[in-house]
Amino acid sequence: MLPTPQGASRSLAAVFTPIKSRGLVDEVCGRIEQAVETGLLTGGQRLPNETELAAALGVSAVTAREALSQLRTSGIIRTVRGRSGGSFIADDVFPSPERALEQLRELTRLQISDLGLHYQAIAAACAGVAARRSDAADMATLRSLIPPEEANPLHWRLALSEFLLEVAAIARSARLARELIRLQTELGALTLLPCADSGYRAGAAGLLAEVAGAVESHQPAAAEASVKALIAATTDWLLNEQSTRSIPPVPSS
Amino acid sequence: MSGTTTAADATALAAVTEIDASITGIEDRLAAWAAETGTALAALSGRVTGGPVDKLIRPVVEELVRAPGGYAAGAGFLANAGLLGPERSYIAWWHGEELEHVDALANFSPTSISRYVKSEWFRIPVETGQAHVTGPYVDFLCTDEYVLTFTHPVFRCSEGPVAGIVGMDVTVQRLERGALPALRRIGERATLVYDDGRAIASAAPDIAAGDLAAAGEGCRVYSVGRKFRIWSGGTAI
Repeated sequence: MLPTPQGASRSLAAVFTPIKSRGLVDEVCGRIEQAVETGLLTGGQRLPNETELAAALGVSAVTAREALSQLRTSGIIRTVRGRSGGSFIADDVFPSPERALEQLRELTRLQISDLGLHYQAIAAACAGVAARRSDAADMATLRSLIPPEEANPLHWRLALSEFLLEVAAIARSARLARELIRLQTELGALTLLPCADSGYRAGAAGLLAEVAGAVESHQPAAAEASVKALIAATTDWLLNEQSTRSIPPVPSS
Repeated sequence: MSGTTTAADATALAAVTEIDASITGIEDRLAAWAAETGTALAALSGRVTGGPVDKLIRPVVEELVRAPGGYAAGAGFLANAGLLGPERSYIAWWHGEELEHVDALANFSPTSISRYVKSEWFRIPVETGQAHVTGPYVDFLCTDEYVLTFTHPVFRCSEGPVAGIVGMDVTVQRLERGALPALRRIGERATLVYDDGRAIASAAPDIAAGDLAAAGEGCRVYSVGRKFRIWSGGTAI
């Protein structure tokens, strides 16, 4: 289920952009992982066979077969032999806090803060233009994306990225929107971690309302400032969490 | 004096007619395609499946997106619930000269209809049985561009439910390229706007596509296609 009232989820868009760079097999796997992560494909659901998958994604059958095999190895799909067999999405897969923590451990502090700055720059540019171009219909959509504080972390994570994409949509800049999607893909499951913290959610909910208010009342500077604060809250949370977790255990004497 | 006014009027009117012809051309082509698709779907016997739908739609999309000087960046068909299965949609939509299949994985989802049912470009033609133009908006599903989506309902039989929609994505960039020379002949601040006053293309340097604009005082207003207007003089707001 998608928590968005719009039906077609915008963060899903990255899943379906044309396959070009990167290894094709990795790319196919990435698509399927993202489709699972965003709820398009759900646990227990049967996947198409390799011929159908290949045709749908415009890759060779060999590529599709390798991708299915790679997904099997990483536990995202399971294969059942026999007449009613086939490949199925494994129950209970993504995105998991474990996976997000693993991603956090792999990043340096520099990578996190630099990614945060880039994200801030793009989101602030979107917010500034959105504050000039918003109309009533835009605002109804934007406000509908603010999740209730008590919603679960998965819902929160998706809602946060949908909210920022909607700000880009209100700005009506295709370039900024594409860059925002790219950055969100790079952030991956990371944003799941702060979303599990009720303190973070409370702060973020206030900031989302501030952004919406500034965009609605056509105040570009205020919209930029509150969007920056929102992203800084995420980055700071991640940096904090990383330092806490990387304290080496006290050696026993 | 009145002679020159008339000549200027005639020039402006010819320019309006030119822009109207481009936009009406898109709408008429889509209406014809919807009718052809309905007839072809009616001729399919038994349960409709994806393969035959692809065979029906793809050649037309190819013709549309590859037409020299054409407006379509992408086009296709989207099945309404019921045509292939109760909760199921089916997307046969291709984008760009390379004909990339849009949203292909969604065709494997048993609840794919939920993905589209609230999108304006799908919902309105299905609910009203009428053609619709959505936008301009940043299209995250398909082109990742600033586009207008023209959609038209498809009927398998005249009284029947809407079987699906056919549609075409037209980038604002292409419309600007096509319309700007004619807009300049209408006036130095002539502006093509969507229904709600959102600028699509303008001869005025301070009005950008996506800006909300207003009709200048005393300017002429021409209705173009289903959803557009031309203001002989637009004002930035």
